[in-house]
Amino acid sequence: MDKKRLTALMPTAALVLGSAISTSVLAQGPALVEGNEYMLVANYPNSMHVIDLQTDTLYKSCELPDAFGPGVTQMAPDGKTAYILNNHYEDIYGVNLDNCEVTFHASMSLQQNERTKSIFSFAISADGDEIYAVQNPTMLYRDHYRVQPARLAVYDTSAGLDAKPVRTFPSPRQVTVMQTGDDGTLYMAGADIYKVDVNTGEVDVAIPSRNWDRPLYAPPDVLNAWPIQSPSKDFTILYTTAKFQDESYDLNTADWIYGFMNVNLETGETETTDFGPITEIYFSGMRSPKDPNLVFGVLNRLAKYDIEKKELVGAAELDHSYYCIAMNHDGSKVYLGGTFNDVAIYDADSMEKLGNIQLPGGDMAISTSQVFMR
Amino acid sequence: MNTTKTLKPLGGGLLALAVALATQTAQAAPEAEQIIQNNCLACHTQEGDNQWSRISHQRKSPEGWLMTIARMQVMHGLQISDEDRRTLVKYLSDRQGLAPSETEGVRYALERRLNTSEAFDSQAFTEMCARCHSGARVMLQRRPASEWEHLVHFHLGQWPTTEFQALARDRDWLDLALNEMVPELAEMLPMDSKAWNEWQQQAEAPVDGDWTLAGHMPGKGAFHARMQVTPAQGDDQYRLTLTGEYDDGSALKGEGQAVVYTGYEWRANIEIDGQVMRQVFALKDGQLSGRMFLRDKDEVGADVVAARDAKGASRILALQPAYIKAGTEAEISIVGTGLSGMPVLGAGVDVIEVISESPDLIRVRARAAEDASGVVTASVGTAEGGRFAVYDRVANVKVVPEFAVARVGGNGSSTPRVEARFEAEAWAVGADGKAGTADDYRIGMMPATWSVAPFDAVAEADRDVHFTGRMNSSTGVFTPAAAGPNPERRMMTNNAGNLKVQAQVQDGGETHNAEGQMIVTVQRWNNPPIP
Repeated sequence: MDKKRLTALMPTAALVLGSAISTSVLAQGPALVEGNEYMLVANYPNSMHVIDLQTDTLYKSCELPDAFGPGVTQMAPDGKTAYILNNHYEDIYGVNLDNCEVTFHASMSLQQNERTKSIFSFAISADGDEIYAVQNPTMLYRDHYRVQPARLAVYDTSAGLDAKPVRTFPSPRQVTVMQTGDDGTLYMAGADIYKVDVNTGEVDVAIPSRNWDRPLYAPPDVLNAWPIQSPSKDFTILYTTAKFQDESYDLNTADWIYGFMNVNLETGETETTDFGPITEIYFSGMRSPKDPNLVFGVLNRLAKYDIEKKELVGAAELDHSYYCIAMNHDGSKVYLGGTFNDVAIYDADSMEKLGNIQLPGGDMAISTSQVFMR
Repeated sequence: MNTTKTLKPLGGGLLALAVALATQTAQAAPEAEQIIQNNCLACHTQEGDNQWSRISHQRKSPEGWLMTIARMQVMHGLQISDEDRRTLVKYLSDRQGLAPSETEGVRYALERRLNTSEAFDSQAFTEMCARCHSGARVMLQRRPASEWEHLVHFHLGQWPTTEFQALARDRDWLDLALNEMVPELAEMLPMDSKAWNEWQQQAEAPVDGDWTLAGHMPGKGAFHARMQVTPAQGDDQYRLTLTGEYDDGSALKGEGQAVVYTGYEWRANIEIDGQVMRQVFALKDGQLSGRMFLRDKDEVGADVVAARDAKGASRILALQPAYIKAGTEAEISIVGTGLSGMPVLGAGVDVIEVISESPDLIRVRARAAEDASGVVTASVGTAEGGRFAVYDRVANVKVVPEFAVARVGGNGSSTPRVEARFEAEAWAVGADGKAGTADDYRIGMMPATWSVAPFDAVAEADRDVHFTGRMNSSTGVFTPAAAGPNPERRMMTNNAGNLKVQAQVQDGGETHNAEGQMIVTVQRWNNPPIP
């Protein structure tokens, strides 16, 4: 948008509207409608947008405090409060989407000379009462830094705007995305997919990843920056790996494979499943809420795989790269976000493009998009 | 150099000079120490007489010290004037620099040869350090284990995603960094070294006086020049005038200033035709060698060697051109210092006429015999040197560099375009008449006709040749296209691409084709003095 023009219009708007309606009320927009399906995205300079999935149009926008980045989001089970990891990975905010009010704020650095960042790793409990974050603190001493052990911090979501951890536990390093199971278990992706008791801090391995024992398989490479809360309550983490022909472990004859590790957040069941050969890279992927035998992946194309057949069954060319995938609850549409400021919509069956939703503001970058029911 | 240096017994004249230099340094040191006292002790701790925490436990190149102080400004709020910063870089480079031998093999980074493909023996080092920046940046530092450990904590504290990136997220990165990389670095790149101790005992080598330079710039050609170096105000500071010409007859003329760091690290800026050229040379055995490049467009540069006029010293620096075809005649320039006597070009090559003659440049007409072949060493009087090749036919041609990176730029972005510049290097078979054997020899850079082609099917489908820029068919200089997403391209991508670089060289009736590769990619946003 033309910034100059906007500024020029503002005094006029203030004159016309007088004092009856403040501009901040205007910015808040309408409350969400109970029972409706929405999608949440965040972008530069520092906004949250709610898209109405009944009409595939922008419903409202909320301005956020402090600085943008990375814009990792988690929706509360109330379908009303959106949490976002922002301010250069250092703060978590809770925003009431009905009125754009910030209701929760945790600055993760606990001491004045501590700088603490969370690398995409926060989640909300199934009952919405607690926020979990794996934090990477560094002590900034006068003439040197000291990296501190990683910690799992637990926050009470009702703690308000100066939230401090109610519990902290030691955590493995290199933890990224996390999700919670219906039984309260916290699953977090690190060297392995860990299973954490949030009351005792006890860490078990739910799915071995770096330490998997799959004969003839190389250890997987796992990149995940998008903790997608899928309608089917699947916590899905893509991996790439190589499967060797035999014990000679010759990379030249190995098969290069895409797969996912998955936790069913309702039952706690886990799986590690190859779904196809690597022909291109996907930044994020998810299983269809309609047909769990289908997995979608996106970066430079939107691709669809039949998991059982381990076959690419559909692909769509894109107008530009998209990082983050989302699907609506009935599994009929795929919504692509991340990079630039438009969300692209595709038909999940035909893979035909259905349209774009333009967002005010700038790049979504590596922000997470979430589909939710109010 | 170091104020604590003890000098070898020297003759009267030299001793007087050395004492004079030492006196200058002695004046500069308190000034630098005062700057440290005033500007650095908010964070650093005084550990003794002119010893400070962190600062006194590292050695590095002038560029390395500059980057350190600049980082203190950018990240830690240091306020310091440019003048004081220059004083500190000089003081620290002299007091805690690197011995010449400690920079060997990694000077390409100081010389801004950004197309260098690095290779290190240590896979751990390659994956831990050279993953994000040049390995040379590390190789140009010396620290004790405690300081390498600080560096690990600084890296992960400042860039917390370091342990989540490829080649890190598949391993226990911090444990490896602290417990394996730190000891490896402390052993490989130690604070205390024999080379540094010995270098500090060396007497300063003189640099003021008159020099001859010989150089070669890809895309332009060979040149020779004279450089006058006179002392200027300040420690190891000099004024320069440069006068010379390229072999196409165009002038190379300018004035500037130089500083010698650590007793051998020559850094100069010379204004030539309104553009600043930077010299990054090492002084060794009365010669300077290194690279001279445009300060603000550093892909444009020349390899340079230079020698200083000194009584009784006679040196050949280069022959231009550096090759002749058997059975032909050519005009050859012999560039050097103190040249005196008969020019001899070696077996099978006769000097048939001396066209002109001076102590720094002899022009001759030479004829190569029909059966002459190989690399010969020229001589003038007692001086021997300069590589000169005689060939009967070109056997094959290589594109140099074999792999290069150009970068889109301009178009309102903060970063200018980065060209790629190619040359065609001709090779001859040796006495065995077979190509690809040990006796093959390099003839030299030859004129070629240049073009680009799609590197693969993807590059063809994406029309990389059309979008990425233009190759100058006669100079081998590729100018990349404008920066930014291009709506005309598939997926609105940047004007990036993957190209074959093709050279065609004519040798008599024969045509030789050679191929290299060029990636045209996006801007280098972070471009510090040492890449």
